[in-house]
Amino acid sequence: MPVERAVAFDYDLPAKDPFWFRECFLMTMPLGRKAVNLRELLQTLKEVDTEVLHYHLLQSRLAVTQPVVEYPNDFALWAATALQDVKLAEKLSSFDPLEYEDLEQVRQAMVDILEDYLWDLPNVPWARPGFEFHFCMASMVVIRAEIPASTLREFCHALGKVGLDSVYYHFFEARRRHGSRQVDDFSFWIENNFGLPELVQAIRDIDLYFYTLKEVRDTLLQLILEHLGEICGYPE
Amino acid sequence: MVTLNDYAPIVGPEVIGQLQRLAERLKDRRFVHINSTRTGGGVAEILSRAVPLLNQMGLTTTWEVIQGDPTFFEVTKAFHNALQGHEVRLSPAQLQHYEEVNRENARKFTWEADYVLVHDPQPAFLIKVMRERARHWVWRCHIDVSRPNLKVWKYLREIVSRYDASIFSMAQFAQNLPHPQYLIRPSIDPLSEKNREITPEEIDQVLNRLGIERDRPLVLQVSRFDSFKDPVGVIQAFRMVRKHVPCKLILAGGEATDDPEGPRIFAEVMEAAEGEPDIQVLLLPPDAHHEVNALQRAADIIVQKSTREGFGLTVTEAMWKGKPVIGGAVGGIVLQIRDYHTGFLVHSPEGCAFRIRYLLHRPEMAQRMGRLAREFVRQHFLITRNIRDYLTLLTLAENPGSRTIEL
Repeated sequence: MPVERAVAFDYDLPAKDPFWFRECFLMTMPLGRKAVNLRELLQTLKEVDTEVLHYHLLQSRLAVTQPVVEYPNDFALWAATALQDVKLAEKLSSFDPLEYEDLEQVRQAMVDILEDYLWDLPNVPWARPGFEFHFCMASMVVIRAEIPASTLREFCHALGKVGLDSVYYHFFEARRRHGSRQVDDFSFWIENNFGLPELVQAIRDIDLYFYTLKEVRDTLLQLILEHLGEICGYPE
Repeated sequence: MVTLNDYAPIVGPEVIGQLQRLAERLKDRRFVHINSTRTGGGVAEILSRAVPLLNQMGLTTTWEVIQGDPTFFEVTKAFHNALQGHEVRLSPAQLQHYEEVNRENARKFTWEADYVLVHDPQPAFLIKVMRERARHWVWRCHIDVSRPNLKVWKYLREIVSRYDASIFSMAQFAQNLPHPQYLIRPSIDPLSEKNREITPEEIDQVLNRLGIERDRPLVLQVSRFDSFKDPVGVIQAFRMVRKHVPCKLILAGGEATDDPEGPRIFAEVMEAAEGEPDIQVLLLPPDAHHEVNALQRAADIIVQKSTREGFGLTVTEAMWKGKPVIGGAVGGIVLQIRDYHTGFLVHSPEGCAFRIRYLLHRPEMAQRMGRLAREFVRQHFLITRNIRDYLTLLTLAENPGSRTIEL
């Protein structure tokens, strides 16, 4: 499909540093702790390791990837399905952990939302039996995928082939590594090797929290196509 | 022999590549699995396939089985029931016997290992006598221990606490233990007799043999005749559906021989189905994998109306065959079925009836759900993912204390 913004670009221009795709393997680690109602959820969130928040807000999309993102994190999903409190689910869905500098701030923001919400309620909402919230965190093994990309053409081709875990690692986890909620590995690499400020900005503008990993990948490839005007070998 | 590459057309070559890269770093490590039976049951089914595959990938993997007398298995069956929440009484003599049988097995075992994965409570005690034979001991619990009997759990907890890590199938089964706990979801083997692709002719042959005519849409539940699978509730739902839409119900499964209530439930099912020619109850032997495969593929809608469920691999099997599944909103079924996307979750016979009717009237919706369900299983519940989890776990075990390991 021809795109207005497309510019002539040499897809085979070699990068200064090739991009090495990493694969990441997540092992969920249940804590053996659960919440049966909203007050218990709040209390436990105050006590547990912040990695627990990281897991339920971001990492869990790698554990069991649902076909669609109806609620973007485990807390919102639990509010909707277990507490059957759609109002709370809406509030928690709009909560974006990537807006905060670190996980301690994320925890405080979550606590604030839940305390405010509970303050106005006449009764504490309870989970349906069997739908208690079970707290987890995760450990991760990261390995080099042995799929290097030296040019943008190779990069596009590889991005279409690597597992979704790789997309997660370079697009979500990367923000912690770079210490910036704006910067992911893909745009970082493109910026440092090819410049392309418009494309870099468009990638950084992706509203990633509401996409499945597959949608993130498709969006990335689509953006490259739009900005550079070539299909770059991605299988349809 | 099935090889790892045989799975490439199913899961994609990139998944096979990942497994090989993970395994490369664990090459020549000695990995021992121990359980209590070579045949029968989901654990043996997966091990019989996973062990040769791990060997192909370069890990020296063996599978040991502990031997015991009937008294031993009575005690371990009581453990099993108690872990699932039943009230059981175990005398000190019985516990002593359990320990003694484990000691006897330990005396006969000659293996030494880098990692040992001990499945379920039967061989769990081995760690007390064989600790130095392996660097890492991991306990794999396949049982629903969300509400264990406290006395029995206290006894087993003391043993399990000695392990370096434990693995559960669902987060709700995790316990208060002094070591890392991991989650590994159960899986199915897409190349096994129960799940492999079969031809329409093979399906027809099985249906002919079982005397099932395909003149109306088929609704199927495959499960043991056990009260938690609610077969009587399924019949109630079917009777409600039949008032509006012509269809047939097949209840297929084995009798729960280790369940004292089994014969009573089966009698209740037969009574509930009486006088209804469109309900067929099939009592199948435990190794009727081919028949189950054919029935699931022939069905238009598959039901698993459990009122309690550990994980529900019959749901996984049905989803893998691209069928819309209506499941009870309990246990692992909730994890597998996303309402309206990969199937329907129901809470009552009425709900079940309504969803059967819904799907019978909307075959295009049923097809779409089935397609999504199959993809969901492909991503999360096939044996390749189980092997990946094992390899990841072993890598983590070599680096205790690290939350992220970059290799």
